[in-house]
Amino acid sequence: MRIELKKFGEMLISRPSGREAFLAMSAYLIKDLKEDELIEIDFEGVKVLTPSWADEVITKLAERFKNVKLLNTKNSTVQATLETLREYSGLKIA
Amino acid sequence: MTGQFMNIKKLAYQWIVDDADKTDVKSSYYCQTRDIFQARLNSMRLTLLNNKIRSEENIYIITAVAGEIGNNSFDHNLGNWPDIMGIFFGYETNNQRLEIVLADRGQGVLKTLKNAKPELKTDIEALKTAFTEKISGRAPENRGNGLKFVKNNIKIIKANLNFVSGNAEAKLNNEMTIKQIDQNIQGCLVEIKIKK
Repeated sequence: MRIELKKFGEMLISRPSGREAFLAMSAYLIKDLKEDELIEIDFEGVKVLTPSWADEVITKLAERFKNVKLLNTKNSTVQATLETLREYSGLKIA
Repeated sequence: MTGQFMNIKKLAYQWIVDDADKTDVKSSYYCQTRDIFQARLNSMRLTLLNNKIRSEENIYIITAVAGEIGNNSFDHNLGNWPDIMGIFFGYETNNQRLEIVLADRGQGVLKTLKNAKPELKTDIEALKTAFTEKISGRAPENRGNGLKFVKNNIKIIKANLNFVSGNAEAKLNNEMTIKQIDQNIQGCLVEIKIKK
């Protein structure tokens, strides 16, 4: 399953919108998927990402699934956010 | 909001120290809700990109830093604003120099963090904790990474950030210093300065 984050917006900033995004994913995209399913999180097209939004989505996806891959992470805010989540939110995906 | 050559920090300061009934809630800098803030933040991003104030990647970082700070105000004061809900958010540019100011009349960092760390006594201790420790003002929720992100990225974009809450001020650039000041701000007043 590939999750294209640009479909949630190009500026992904607040916790409430992150939480809403995760609820929508849970209802439509990742419902019924097994925990060992490959989940590809695609950051292509995301311009601004913050740890608040990402903590509600990336951290939770990483907790729920064992095989998560991060794609197209070149954007500076994506890099900085992932670094913060690894350091302060226990995100273990490389 | 650009090129008006007015001191938005002074306007923001006035906005948070005025009595509640005198505060200018019709100000174009006032964002009563998070949605208004996000729309104006996006407008700032597009303006900075159009004017090529900085590299595209730096503008995204600047937007993310301001977004974290503004959203923090809403996250930690939701349903608990002492008087006027929402934040002041303004910016101005002049000869490639950019200044962004965010302020709120909320609870302030000390009161917010005491929820998770009751032993905090002073505003200085609270600011130090907020910028350096893994702690959430909304415990037991697992949060508290926003200001660490701000601190790291202020270095990357070579900016200066002043963060005032209560009677303490944190100054961040390559280093961080925190000191007591003569003023006493009820909520938070944040100034981000980026020179050419």
